[in-house]
Amino acid sequence: MMISSTALSVIVVVATLVASLTPILLLALFIRDWKKGCLW
Amino acid sequence: MTGLDAPILPTSIAWGLLIAFSILWVLLGWWLGRRNRTAEDHMLAGRNVGLALATATAMATWVTANTTMTAPQLALQLGVWGMLGYSLGALGLILFAPLARRIRELMPGGFTSGDFIRLRFGTFTWRVFLVVSLIYAFGWLVSMAMAGGVLINALAGIDYRVGMSVILTVCVIYTLLGGLRAVIGTDFIQTIIIIAGAAFIAWLTIDRVGFEAIHFNLMEERPELLSLLFPAAIMFLFNNLLFGVGEIFHSNVWWSRAFAFGRNVGFRAYLLGGLLWLPIPIVAGFVALATPALGINVPAADMVGPLVAAEVLGLTGAIVVFIVVFAALASSLDSLLAATSDLVTRDIYRGHIRPQASEQSQFRATKVIVVLLGLLTWLAASYRGELPIIGSLAELLYFTGAFVASAIWPIVAGLYWRRANPHGAAWSMILGSGIGLASYFLIGFYVAALVGAAVSLAVMVLSTWLAPRSFDWDRLSRDASTEEVRTA
Repeated sequence: MMISSTALSVIVVVATLVASLTPILLLALFIRDWKKGCLW
Repeated sequence: MTGLDAPILPTSIAWGLLIAFSILWVLLGWWLGRRNRTAEDHMLAGRNVGLALATATAMATWVTANTTMTAPQLALQLGVWGMLGYSLGALGLILFAPLARRIRELMPGGFTSGDFIRLRFGTFTWRVFLVVSLIYAFGWLVSMAMAGGVLINALAGIDYRVGMSVILTVCVIYTLLGGLRAVIGTDFIQTIIIIAGAAFIAWLTIDRVGFEAIHFNLMEERPELLSLLFPAAIMFLFNNLLFGVGEIFHSNVWWSRAFAFGRNVGFRAYLLGGLLWLPIPIVAGFVALATPALGINVPAADMVGPLVAAEVLGLTGAIVVFIVVFAALASSLDSLLAATSDLVTRDIYRGHIRPQASEQSQFRATKVIVVLLGLLTWLAASYRGELPIIGSLAELLYFTGAFVASAIWPIVAGLYWRRANPHGAAWSMILGSGIGLASYFLIGFYVAALVGAAVSLAVMVLSTWLAPRSFDWDRLSRDASTEEVRTA
């Protein structure tokens, strides 16, 4: 039983999309913590 | 066609990147650690780390050179299940979230995982745990130092020993200067670099090669990599799951963070970090599946990621991979150096050599131990060819699988099961590690953690069923506080 080209592409594209958005989320959290004075 | 016979990044550029990032990490380490005055500042960064830094450090530490280089290697060897199996390592972070909350509740003033095992299970189990934990920590340190040397050599033609020495030295210096605060601060920047770099390479590989070509060429040349019923790969999936859980549950790298994160931060940071980590091995590993479509000859499996990046992106790809892997190496090496030196300081130096060691003498000892650990790692990574167990990165990593998986159940039972038998905890680690190692040599690297965890579970349950004990949870915080007051 082989994985189809479509299934492979869905897995990889979703993973890459989440990875691409992660730095933005981390920076947003950093700014939020900074403003609230709870970075450390 | 790209091979390892010629470097894919000019040596001058590689040296420029190495020097620039080395200066950046060292300066940041010094700046972040300049207010550290006590061993507690140095080891636990003030015990009030916020969600952004906590999430990033959990992710960065778990994204190692092993993720960025071994994930493509496993995709090349085990196919789709290889990269999916590696991504299940995220479950370790996710499952540790409730444990981090429990650890912080039970031992608000704790320092190391060793502190917990000693107070919960007694001296014998504590010593067994230290052996298991230190073997794993050292294996991980050496595998990352090796990865650094291999990468720099393959990408830029810089001698293996020189590259490995530079990376190791930089990490030792900034960990020495800034302790956990430096580690967590640099981890934040390194996380962003690693993830953005890996996603950039993946998008460009998709754009340049395309899924149709990747799938067609794999079906022609390596159809087993697309198989959903690849037995070794399915075994690997479960093995990797247990390996990841074992690594995180027992290692002081994660316990020291549980103690360092602010109140109510640990649970959310580990959960979010795990969910965001999940796609990274897929993103990093998938590029290896493009090798047949690109016609790349892969002389060494653990170099497939950099080779594909350089083939697809040329000089830019080589630069991006170089920066990503340098960041990944540094983010894990520093964490492991800091957490292992804490463990050695608290549990070996203070626990076995100088029980009355003052706060200041522990502070000094931590720094000496970071340097000694760096030196030992350098020696092992320098003479890797002469050590029988140190073959490829994946083999070395999974050699430690039996040890770490055997520690899962003693930790879980210790935190949640009041009746857990202390000697059963020790024997579950001893027998789990021993039989897990035997299966590593007799069956294959992909079953060591699976067998180790199964044996450990059986021993833990059986021993507690035969001889249950009762434990007062309050003892953990009470005894830890008494010890700190005595030392102060």
